[in-house]
Amino acid sequence: MDTLANYLPIIAPILIIQLILLIVAIFDLVRIEKTNGPKWLWVIIILFINIIGPILYFVIGRKSN
Amino acid sequence: MSQWMTLLQKEILEMWRNFKWIWVPITFILLGVKEPLSSYYLPQILDAVGGLPEGAVIKLPTPTAAEVLITGLGQYTTLGVLIIVLTTMGIISGERKSGVAAMILVKPVSFQSFVSAKWAGSVLLMWFSFFIGYLSTWYYTGLLFDWIPFIQFLQSFFFYALWLTVILTVTIFFSSSFVNSGMAGFLSLVVVIVLSLVSSTLSNWLEWSPAQLTNYANEVLLDNGIPEDTLPASLIAAVFINVLLSLSVFIFRKKELAQ
Repeated sequence: MDTLANYLPIIAPILIIQLILLIVAIFDLVRIEKTNGPKWLWVIIILFINIIGPILYFVIGRKSN
Repeated sequence: MSQWMTLLQKEILEMWRNFKWIWVPITFILLGVKEPLSSYYLPQILDAVGGLPEGAVIKLPTPTAAEVLITGLGQYTTLGVLIIVLTTMGIISGERKSGVAAMILVKPVSFQSFVSAKWAGSVLLMWFSFFIGYLSTWYYTGLLFDWIPFIQFLQSFFFYALWLTVILTVTIFFSSSFVNSGMAGFLSLVVVIVLSLVSSTLSNWLEWSPAQLTNYANEVLLDNGIPEDTLPASLIAAVFINVLLSLSVFIFRKKELAQ
């Protein structure tokens, strides 16, 4: 426990922005009309692939119009 | 001028709508903090992963702060470049495909302001994201290793950002030349890779190549001062950006009028 308290100030900000990224991706996925590929697949990718999942969604998952 | 500002504002608003202002900076931050964290915690990570025979002793030299920052910056020349190219490759070709470009250009908007406003919008996004990301690399390196003087941080930031701007302009050039955005992205990556490979292998003859700016940024971080060749390299980068922008306006006009 002691070591965890030491790491927390360093790791916590990263976890928080990672969480923001995930929430924004899910929020966008809900609002968007169509994605490249099935929507449910993107939900799984965003939720379960750490860091890379949401980024992948933004880069190739979104359909621009 | 006010028309150009309107176009730029439209560009920035659009990037809000598709969350680029949020996810690109966050991605750059995550890219940037990876290096200082993983090199600092490498012994613990090795311990946790295990698999080492009993009594094995691994002595890892602790990297200096400058080395960590340089490897951290290296992330931006690989994954960072990939993200820049992937996010900007469709910026003009996508609008042409969907007909938005034609709709805007029906109004008395010059081709030049259309392209340059798009360029300025993406440059703003890229500089902002890169600054935030690199700032976090610098901060974490300072926290875990040693503090690098802020002025050196700023100098290396500008050299790197200039080179990234060249890459971005190359992408915009191909984006205005091809309707297929995948093609544009692929060609930009090829050009960037060839440019950096040629400049690094022939570094003795091509000191003025903009691709060398990344090496000069590393020199600054290593406390060697600003190399002499930085000025010609930066000037050539600026000229290159201007020429490419004018060329993309020219090609874009020709293609759009031909339709």
